[in-house]
Amino acid sequence: MNRRVFLKSSFATLALPALESVSSALPSTTVRLATVEAPKRMVCIGNSFGMYPEKFFPREDGPNYPMTHLLSPLEKHRKDFTVFSNLDHDIKGGHFSVHSFLSGVKMGDAKGMPEGNISIDQRAAEHVGAETRFPSLTIGSEDGLHGGCHMCWTRTGVRVPPIPGPKELFRKLFINVDAAAQKEAADNFKMRGTILDAVHDEAKSLERRLNGQDREKLDEYFTSVRDVETNLELDKRWSSVSKPEAPFPEPQDRSLVEDIPVLYDLIAIALKTDSTRVASFEMAGTGFDTSFFGFNSGYHSLSHHGQKPDSIEKLVEIEFYQMQQLSRFIDKLKSIREPDSNGSLLDSSMVLFGSGMGNANAHVNTDLPIILAGGGFKLGEHKRYPTERIKRVPLCNLYLSMLQKFGVETETFGTSSGTLSGLKVA
Amino acid sequence: MNIRLAVLVGSLIGCSSLIAEEDTKAFNDHIRPFLEEYCIKCHGPDKQKGERRFDTLAYPISDDNALIDFQDMLDLLNLGDMPPEDEEQPSSDQRQAIVDWLTQEVNKAYESRSFTGGETVLRRLNHREYLNTINDLFQMDMSMFDPTESFPGERLVEHQDNIGDTLITSGYLLNRYVDAADQIVEKALPFQDKPEPQTWNFKGGFQQQPELNKRHMVAHGQRYLNIYEGPNTVRRFGAYAPLYEFVDGVPEGGVYKIRTLAEAVNRYHSFNRKKVQNDPDEPMMMRVIPANKRFGYLHMPQPFAPDLGTFALSDDGPAWYETEAWLDKGFAPRYNYLNGSMDIRPGFREVANLVIKNADPAIPPKDLDEDYMAVAIKHGVIPHIRIHEVEVSGPFYPEWPTRTWMTIVGEEVFNPKKTRHILQVFASRAYRKPASRDEVNRLMRVVEARVDQGSSGFEAMKDGLKAVLISPAFLYLEEEKQKSKTERLGDFGLASRLSYFLWGSLPDQELLDLAKRKRLSRPSVLKSQMDRMLKDPRSDRFISGFLDSWLTLRSLGDAPPDRNKFEVYYAENLEDAMRMETEMFTRNALKENLNISCFLDSDFTFVNEALAEIYGIDGIEGDNFRRIELNDPRRGGLLGQASILTVTANGVDTSPVLRGVWLLENLLGTPPSPPPPDVEPLDPDIRGAESIRDQLNKHRETQACYECHRKIDPLGFALENFDPIGRWRSKYDDRIEIDASGQLPSGESFNDIVEFKKAMLEKKDAFTRALTKKMLSYALGRRLEISDRPEIDSILETLEENGDGFRDLVYLIISSESFASP
Repeated sequence: MNRRVFLKSSFATLALPALESVSSALPSTTVRLATVEAPKRMVCIGNSFGMYPEKFFPREDGPNYPMTHLLSPLEKHRKDFTVFSNLDHDIKGGHFSVHSFLSGVKMGDAKGMPEGNISIDQRAAEHVGAETRFPSLTIGSEDGLHGGCHMCWTRTGVRVPPIPGPKELFRKLFINVDAAAQKEAADNFKMRGTILDAVHDEAKSLERRLNGQDREKLDEYFTSVRDVETNLELDKRWSSVSKPEAPFPEPQDRSLVEDIPVLYDLIAIALKTDSTRVASFEMAGTGFDTSFFGFNSGYHSLSHHGQKPDSIEKLVEIEFYQMQQLSRFIDKLKSIREPDSNGSLLDSSMVLFGSGMGNANAHVNTDLPIILAGGGFKLGEHKRYPTERIKRVPLCNLYLSMLQKFGVETETFGTSSGTLSGLKVA
Repeated sequence: MNIRLAVLVGSLIGCSSLIAEEDTKAFNDHIRPFLEEYCIKCHGPDKQKGERRFDTLAYPISDDNALIDFQDMLDLLNLGDMPPEDEEQPSSDQRQAIVDWLTQEVNKAYESRSFTGGETVLRRLNHREYLNTINDLFQMDMSMFDPTESFPGERLVEHQDNIGDTLITSGYLLNRYVDAADQIVEKALPFQDKPEPQTWNFKGGFQQQPELNKRHMVAHGQRYLNIYEGPNTVRRFGAYAPLYEFVDGVPEGGVYKIRTLAEAVNRYHSFNRKKVQNDPDEPMMMRVIPANKRFGYLHMPQPFAPDLGTFALSDDGPAWYETEAWLDKGFAPRYNYLNGSMDIRPGFREVANLVIKNADPAIPPKDLDEDYMAVAIKHGVIPHIRIHEVEVSGPFYPEWPTRTWMTIVGEEVFNPKKTRHILQVFASRAYRKPASRDEVNRLMRVVEARVDQGSSGFEAMKDGLKAVLISPAFLYLEEEKQKSKTERLGDFGLASRLSYFLWGSLPDQELLDLAKRKRLSRPSVLKSQMDRMLKDPRSDRFISGFLDSWLTLRSLGDAPPDRNKFEVYYAENLEDAMRMETEMFTRNALKENLNISCFLDSDFTFVNEALAEIYGIDGIEGDNFRRIELNDPRRGGLLGQASILTVTANGVDTSPVLRGVWLLENLLGTPPSPPPPDVEPLDPDIRGAESIRDQLNKHRETQACYECHRKIDPLGFALENFDPIGRWRSKYDDRIEIDASGQLPSGESFNDIVEFKKAMLEKKDAFTRALTKKMLSYALGRRLEISDRPEIDSILETLEENGDGFRDLVYLIISSESFASP
């Protein structure tokens, strides 16, 4: 059987784009009325240096805990989020382990894990597959300490690089190509298809000359060719569906710290228009231009406060700003009504905020600051988990609970030992 | 026991046909008691320090793991590092007898072991090699083009970027390869007819960044482009002077003539230089660099900033400055003021205040009511570069057809009938061996299919080239065996291994010809090829690629020093200068075949003015680097170089632990084990008068920490007199006196860096071994295994006999068995 014919027929079973951008283009909205439940969505936000623990974690447990300074911007959302104490991935490495935030697995240890060091967002994106234009959107800054947070990883151990700023994100989401460019794109698809056929044959003939270990390596290549072909088919399909209308003019990139609100707005619109259901946002360290706050010292430098009160004060101010922006984002999600339902976008969107860094001054990756909002969970408290070594609960248990709620049929994720005890569905 | 052991060893040597049972008996009777007496306490059922356990050690040596244990035991007994100094010691006779026995057993195990493991797996080109290969394959200007920019980061193994089994290929990456192939071929062969040159003139109406536009309108009606700050400041306030009218850039890639009417304004002034910053001792330096709207604002830093022309501006009013430089399609020129202010805003305030206070009656009063920056620019003495007019003309082509065109197409006009020939030649270069008929047939099928789909012959041929660039034969280094029975690498494979080692790129025609004639594996040919290749500028890629993997120099800049404390790092672009010093130093050692000990201590180095200033060396002027003799014994060798001292700091302060671990890992090849679980980490508290040494001493009081930190900390403390960018200091910021003394685990004590370097020279063997292993691994593109040990030992032996020359080391690696094996 001709391989290309086979590929095409296998694509016939892929879901057709059934989303708001299509349905809203139709004369009536009857298409969506048939759907029973709003799609599940996930947003994961992480920073490089964590949160200053003394001003972040509440002292009391349960629903009526007194707010801490860093949580205070979220006061109005108190019922809609839970803050967790004593969850982490039980690893060391300081800045060089921050990249495990969403996976629970350091890249060097990926080989020994059944799913490598895949991150929760990419696992969720696999589940969504071709149902949205973008299986996931990874957003953030590349220029941070040691190159940024590096949060998002595929199961083959490849880091998914982030879209660096609002300008590019905006273009991806809203800008359609003109007819000439579309024609060119169609020809480009053909060119790629032809070339892929040729290199596939090439690899086949190379395979015959190789022995065991080398064949294994070449298998990666074959898998990659298939992946690219799948993507190509998806791109072809999506290229004929027009993108949603832009809600505001194209923004310019400024510094990350100034771009945070714009990026959050774009994420909210991406979810609303069902352009994607999974977004991640890396707020990397030195992307934070501290002159925005009127400080001379850099963010990284302040995180090494050495207990000096004025450094701590400045560090907390930067972190406070991040919490204000998170609160604003939750506002935004609450203000958007889920199409064809009574709920808001927040009800269907689980929003995770945290960091792979615990206490940055000590460079530890334990007791991570973790907040979960929305997504249909029963929230609104401070949950504290055991500190004794043998009773500790892996953060991946939370991720497993989130994935299951997202609809992924799995019993494990990363280093999980089960779902997170005490986390209930609303 | 010594006598019995001596007898045992003697009998082993005397009678090689001893049956295995007797060997086992000897092990149980003599070796095991030794282990029990001196080793098992720490490496037994109760403790497994260093993750070693010897009570369960099995004999005879049955697998690689056991071999590693025996080899480790032998190495540490040989060095005298074990048992630890504070434990009971065997007599030297006992030690010697055990060492002899172990040596013999370990050698036997190597001999009986067949060399199956140590093969390089099918290795993908890493991003560095891919970029170099494209550069050489197409012979084109890549100063504004990086097709790997969106590739996902490569996975490193012990800082090395070319270990075959960890270089993963994914759908994501292959997609990027397809994009890259498209971009590369379109850039290489953009058109068939020579474009006509045009001229653009820009005069007045200059837009800069929003904060400046209105003020410039007030000050001079936007008649000028003004540059105030240097390129590497926090705010980039008037730091990049763009041509917004030329936002789409040049229409075609080519050489352009860029003429600039520019003026140095207010080089001399009487203000406080801390507020109104500039250096009146130097002329104002203007540099032309490219900008492309694809990378965001034209007035902000962008990824590509090659030097298109640098000028020292005259102080006698406006003058024309002219340069000719390559510009890629879509790029436009823009300007930097290299030695501009690091922060101009306080200067505006200072200058404006004075203008207002001593208002010249000639100034119209309404002018003084304007925004203070506009006042300062119009009537004050703000130092800046003022650009009056710019003229760009081109494209010009010094060679037509371009070198790239001739390299690929081979003749002036493309002839569709020659397509097969073009692809045959190109694929043979790209695949680093003659392309087979089948391979070319497959490429031709791409071309034919594309013509059927409506492409022109020329475009279809280009698509054939793209297919070459994503085919496995290009992306992977295939290490074919020779057809004969020998287990040696084929001739073309050897050519590639040599060129990827020394050039980080594909073999040139000469290497391929030698491979074709099967001459390359001859020792004399290998030697002369090495000499030729090291003379070629492409060997710079070996220097930089190897230093990245060996000394982690690629991480320089990952944790950049705090701007507030280390402004000079940014003002003088020290990052590049630091790297340059270490590269030139290494290049010199290679060229002169210097003794490897020069890396540990030397009486010379390479500096420019900025670096000399960091080192406190007077009398060096200008940006160019030169070799200097060092009179100061503190600076010689790698440990005195700012690159090493900066890459081992964390950007904020120095950490003796980080530096100590770095030394153990990279210079001595003995990385410490990671911290045990359940140890309270150090939470730095710098409020009190406690120094980092006091805090670490406390940390070391814990037994679990002590084991490793007694090895780590002394090495780091020896470097404490160097601050996070490598400047000498005798006190910390809080005025606590620095104590750089210490004692190595092997017993030698030192008072300062100079004595420490002497102690390191005593450890030269360990250093040389670590360097050799690293270079061999880099040359082979794989991890080393226990089976490589005899080869490494033999290289080290010959190296020492020949005087430990650095260039000799490179040659010994190239001529080793491993290098010639698949």
